[in-house]
Amino acid sequence: MKINIKKNIILAAIAASLGITSCGDDYVEVDPPYGINSDSYFTTEDDYYNALIGTYDILQSTYVNVILGEIASDNAHAGGESATDVIGWQQVDRMQHTPVNDNLNDIWDWNFAGVYRASFVLENADNIDFEGKSQLLAEAHFLRAYFNFELLKWFGPIPIKPEGRFTLGEAQTIPRASKSEVYAFIEQDLAYAEENLAVDAPEVGRVTKGAAQALLGKVYLYQDKFSEAATELQKVISSGKYHLYGTQGNEDYDNLFEYSAENSAESVFEIQYTGTQGAGFECLQCSEGNVMVGFSGIRGYAGPVFESGYGFNLPTAEAYNSFEDGDLRQDVSVLDIEAWAAETGATYNIGNQDEVTGHTGYYNRKYLPRQNDNLGDANLTQPNNYRAIRYADVLLMAAEALNRGGIDDAQARAYLNMVRDRAGLAPVEDSGANLTEQIYMDRRSEMIGEGHRFFDLVRTGRAEQFIDGFTTGKNEVFPIPLEEIQFAQGNWDQNAGY
Amino acid sequence: MNRVLLLILFCMLSFGIHAQTFSVSGTVSEDETQMPLPGVNVVVKGTTNGVITDFDGNYSIDNVSQGDVLVFSFIGYTSKEVNITNQDAINVVLSVDSQALDEVLVIGYGAQKKRDITGAVSNVGAETISKLEPVNAAQALQGTTSGVNVTPTGGSPGAESNIRIRGISTNGQNKPLIILDGFQYEGGLNSINPQDIENITVLKDAQAAIYGTIGANGVILVTTKAGRKNQKAKISYEGYTGIQETTRKLPVLNATEYALILNESYANAGQSLPFSNIGNLGAGTDWQDEVFQEALVTSHNLSVVGGEEKITYSIGASNLKQEGIISPEKSQFERSTAKITLNADLTDKLNIQTKLFYNSTESSTVNSFSLGSVLFNAANIAPTIDPSISNLDGQINLGNEVVNPLTQLDNTYNKYITNRLSGTVQASLDYARNLNLKARIGFNTSNTKNRDFTPKFNYGTGKIYTNANSSVTLGKINDNDYTFDLFNTYENTFADDHDVTFLVGMTAYETNGEGLFGSRTGVQANSWKFADLSSANGAGEEQTNSSYSYKLRRLSYFGRIQYAFQDKYLLSAMLRRDSSTKFGPNNRVAYFPSATAGWVISEENFFNEDGFLNFLKLRGSYGILGNDQIPDFGYLSLLNGEATYVLGQEQLLVNGRALGQLANPDLQWEEAKKFDVGLDANFLNSKFEFTVDYFINKRDNLLIPNIPVSGIYGVGAPGSASPTINAGSVKNSGWEFALSYNNKFSDDFSLNTSFNISTLENEVTQVNGTEFIEGGNFGVGQPLISRMEEGKPIGYFYGYKTDGIFQNQAEVDAHPSQLALGAEAMPGDIRYKDLNGDGVIDNKDRTDLGNPIPKVTLGFNLGFNFKNFDFATYMFSNLGNDIVRNYERDQPNVNKMSYVLDRWTGAGTSNTVPRVTTAATANKVFSDFYIEDGSFARIQTVSLGYTIPSEFTQKVSIDKFRIYGKVDNVYTFTDYSGYDPTASTGAPIGGGIDLGFYPLPRTYMLGVNLEF
Repeated sequence: MKINIKKNIILAAIAASLGITSCGDDYVEVDPPYGINSDSYFTTEDDYYNALIGTYDILQSTYVNVILGEIASDNAHAGGESATDVIGWQQVDRMQHTPVNDNLNDIWDWNFAGVYRASFVLENADNIDFEGKSQLLAEAHFLRAYFNFELLKWFGPIPIKPEGRFTLGEAQTIPRASKSEVYAFIEQDLAYAEENLAVDAPEVGRVTKGAAQALLGKVYLYQDKFSEAATELQKVISSGKYHLYGTQGNEDYDNLFEYSAENSAESVFEIQYTGTQGAGFECLQCSEGNVMVGFSGIRGYAGPVFESGYGFNLPTAEAYNSFEDGDLRQDVSVLDIEAWAAETGATYNIGNQDEVTGHTGYYNRKYLPRQNDNLGDANLTQPNNYRAIRYADVLLMAAEALNRGGIDDAQARAYLNMVRDRAGLAPVEDSGANLTEQIYMDRRSEMIGEGHRFFDLVRTGRAEQFIDGFTTGKNEVFPIPLEEIQFAQGNWDQNAGY
Repeated sequence: MNRVLLLILFCMLSFGIHAQTFSVSGTVSEDETQMPLPGVNVVVKGTTNGVITDFDGNYSIDNVSQGDVLVFSFIGYTSKEVNITNQDAINVVLSVDSQALDEVLVIGYGAQKKRDITGAVSNVGAETISKLEPVNAAQALQGTTSGVNVTPTGGSPGAESNIRIRGISTNGQNKPLIILDGFQYEGGLNSINPQDIENITVLKDAQAAIYGTIGANGVILVTTKAGRKNQKAKISYEGYTGIQETTRKLPVLNATEYALILNESYANAGQSLPFSNIGNLGAGTDWQDEVFQEALVTSHNLSVVGGEEKITYSIGASNLKQEGIISPEKSQFERSTAKITLNADLTDKLNIQTKLFYNSTESSTVNSFSLGSVLFNAANIAPTIDPSISNLDGQINLGNEVVNPLTQLDNTYNKYITNRLSGTVQASLDYARNLNLKARIGFNTSNTKNRDFTPKFNYGTGKIYTNANSSVTLGKINDNDYTFDLFNTYENTFADDHDVTFLVGMTAYETNGEGLFGSRTGVQANSWKFADLSSANGAGEEQTNSSYSYKLRRLSYFGRIQYAFQDKYLLSAMLRRDSSTKFGPNNRVAYFPSATAGWVISEENFFNEDGFLNFLKLRGSYGILGNDQIPDFGYLSLLNGEATYVLGQEQLLVNGRALGQLANPDLQWEEAKKFDVGLDANFLNSKFEFTVDYFINKRDNLLIPNIPVSGIYGVGAPGSASPTINAGSVKNSGWEFALSYNNKFSDDFSLNTSFNISTLENEVTQVNGTEFIEGGNFGVGQPLISRMEEGKPIGYFYGYKTDGIFQNQAEVDAHPSQLALGAEAMPGDIRYKDLNGDGVIDNKDRTDLGNPIPKVTLGFNLGFNFKNFDFATYMFSNLGNDIVRNYERDQPNVNKMSYVLDRWTGAGTSNTVPRVTTAATANKVFSDFYIEDGSFARIQTVSLGYTIPSEFTQKVSIDKFRIYGKVDNVYTFTDYSGYDPTASTGAPIGGGIDLGFYPLPRTYMLGVNLEF
């Protein structure tokens, strides 16, 4: 009996070991619990939609393109708490940036993240068929073009991979494509988008045919392809879908950058933000809010209408004074803090007092934080939507293309005067080079605070003339981040001069 | 696998031997007292035939035959062997073992006599632990073991310690494996009741290879107290209570000094002065006095151990309550533990052991050791502000980050509760002569509940802590794991000279768990009292919830052979085959070999054991261990990234799906190659014990999670992350010396002392794919300052080298421009070296400024007993580590450290501390100005006890009654100006940066030990 027990125990022990080992290495074949494996994704229409939302998400991180575009230009000082606060922005303001710059690295990383997520959708384009697939794909094409265009504006030639996502190791094998190759790729994406996008977005905030036409027109304009640019931009104008805000119904131009005018008839493409989800410094690109807005806010502000912020992106006195007398855009675009404090009793602090990058007395009113109940960190979750392509921009780009291309000055003047009229200014009668100058002037006044000025100056060859410290032949593009040069292990050359 | 089974079956074949047998009996007594000794093991040598002496020291053993040898062994006593010549009674007297070489140490899947151990092992016994009486068992390793560095993560009650065995080898997981009574324990040493611990053994070299996949960082084997056979129940009570206080305050300016310095800094920038009337400011508020308080610590422990002939048992329960020295009511830690162990011989051959440990910890914490911590605020807030002012609007502008630390404490509400049940059940069967089979299941299951409440509060305009809405966050986490071990041991001696132990076995491990989190805004009455989701009425998208779950498995087979010839030549070899779910199918399986060898020179005939040297052993080991402690499923591309956008006229959040961490399908095992050679020697009648080791630990294929890769792979996206990559190699090497002296001079006086010293050299030998990996924040918005780079120690500091202060404009003009650092220099500013000589100071002039790894660590312990008094002191020291001062906010109006009183104010006034100014300067960039020598020596413990003579206590049936007084963290000798030179997050890249460390408290304790 005793022996039996013993035998049984031995048998049980062996059985127990067999129980585990008989399956052998199967034991360690475990799937991630509840995890969605990307290899077996894209099996339903929803999968495409959801992956597309993931691509849209990256648009929110382009806040940094906007604020740093302003700081790089002659429109604004870097500001902040001190002359070393966000050192990368301070250096860009002084045109002393080097390949070691976290903030330029952010632009590289985040816009390539957008390209990557769009490519994830597009490389799975043929997995299944369903009605409306071309609309979803067209949106992905648009977004890929948008991010690539940003990268091209900032860094010049970049690596491209039309067939899909970059895979580990390709930084060392795929070269930087030439500017014309990148442009061709962007145009290709936008052509698909224009052809397949609906005139009206399926949901407010998604891209439309008009957005694709406007962006394509802008891409042509950046290449001085004036007639192609004019054609695309005039498609937007003649669509009848858009008008200048404040010119119809009970619209008031003063509200153009208030919440009430978000996704208005002036908005051709608008990046959507909300304050209903919290965010933190550890992941600025994760915020659903417009990080640029809090960073542009008035330091230690207490008073009506606005909320406080970090005091970056300060319009210069020169920029404030560049408006024509009576230009309604001056006070919609720029806040004179001393005048405002005198008028309202508001109080505020001054941070950076450096002559070149510090306090100016002016704030970027278009994108100042307005009082609202956004969640913490409130400086990072301001809900102001970014009007990425406005109808006024389209009109001014069309005017520029028609004028500079020698195509039709009268039509160019008409477009310009539409914009001037809304700003409370008299029409101009100029033509030829004078008209060009006038378009440039109005373009600055109209678009100040929106991140375009630096690139407008560069593409029209006027940057060295206006931007202190700008070196022609170098500063047209920013340096490829040092990390990236290292990752590429000799595959990518640094931009000239850096 | 089949081969392994065959081996097991082969080993199970029994070797039956028959001979003429009879019984032998006798009594075992103790040498010194002549008292009978219960619980002594009496075994027929080379067999499993054994018995235990009873309460009266009597034994009787059957089935012995002439020529057999009886071995009498008892822990702490020298074993005795007696030949059986006839059937007469054999009475034996055992004496206390002075050499301690026969002490048996647990080495993983077995135990070995200290004299036979061929690996590098450190050991801390119950006596040390009871003298130290640490709150956290990890403290018992600090300074007492060579090659083991313990740094608490702060003085916050309940703070865990970072334990590093022989340096930092990876910037992934550096934590050693904890094996509690044979099973993998995940609770951390802080959750184990120190008074339950009998012994802690640290495996530092390739000997840990028996734990293969998880032993690469070294192994800490914790053995808890157990009863002995035939031991009458021993009831013990230990209790202490103490008062804790801070050891140090930062030297900051008082209100008058502050105002003067601020005025000067404004004047230097040509700005109007902030303080017009300084005369009435006085000393102002001492914010550190406001936040530091005296706090209590109390501990009780009750245990019972004992045993019968076939059964031993132990039961115990403990409770520890510790308050924090910052806001005792808001920072607290309470730990309650209970344990029960039972060990039963069901038959002569079958033994069952079970151990259960329950512990419950409850803690609340305050914000510490970060930018924005309570101490950071206390150090930076202006001393001119009254402590009662909670909203700083209208006060001097301190920027958005600095708030009143008392208000911050008032608004701190949280509670973390963890309940953990761990245990093991083991069956051991001597199924045939020399053969033993053990099956063991160990498990941990823990439930953690978090509750955080942030009240609606306005600290002032723009302050980042201001909450427009109250919110409550709840979290519930469940973690489980089990380890199943099955192993077979064959042990035999051939021809008297050849001792062979052969082990084959397998281990299956699974851990799984899940977490669930939710938060809501709009808490009823803005009060902690109602801080629950059910009482919060916030609407819409302000409510969030999330969850995660995980599952990981490992499967291992292993074999080990240990061979000893005449106890002189010792050899062991091991092979382990591991597979883990952390790797893709192609790289899942790996083999890890190791071997150790020893030569007991003192057993040689030519050696005179009675001379100066009494024992001498040379040993060496080499082995490869694996490491898979990286984030799960790194080889798979999962859709767990963030994909949230805003759509629709209503601007609602829309969630899609996006890729998470970038997959690396080629992930493979990290390999730890450990080499050790050592010498053990006893001399002068074995009163001195000496050990020296030299080691080289090399980590190859270093698994680094989140290794930076090009942005073109989309890793910058929200919720995405860089992949885990086999990214480099790190080498640690060093010497370890330990010397101890024990002597009992008389019945009234005995002395023990030990000293150890370890050196460590750390070098990164390879970084793949990128030149360096960065970490470690300094200031706000400044570049990262710590690097991992080939040829340098891991986590070294990278910044500018200073070269004094510019004394005048001529010096400034003569020096390259420092504009690229933020501003052109002025007289009084720091001068930086133009290291690359290109005529301009810019980020190319940064260099190696030191590293946070101590080059030398020392420990010194001294104890003596005189009559009924006992005294002990423990000290330790780190030398050669650098520390970064990073608790000074770079903002014009915050308070300053008192070193600014020695600032430059004109030519010749200072060449070390720059001028004060509110203008832009380059003085705040990371340079050696912010690095200090973190070397220190600390008197950790001084204790004095008195044991009341037993003739008095036994009248009230008390066997032992000891009272003692003890001071912990007595004094620290250091030049470091911050709170504590041990301040570090423990991060391999980014450690040694002091963000306002919660200082370790000094504790004055009174305690009592009782035994019945």
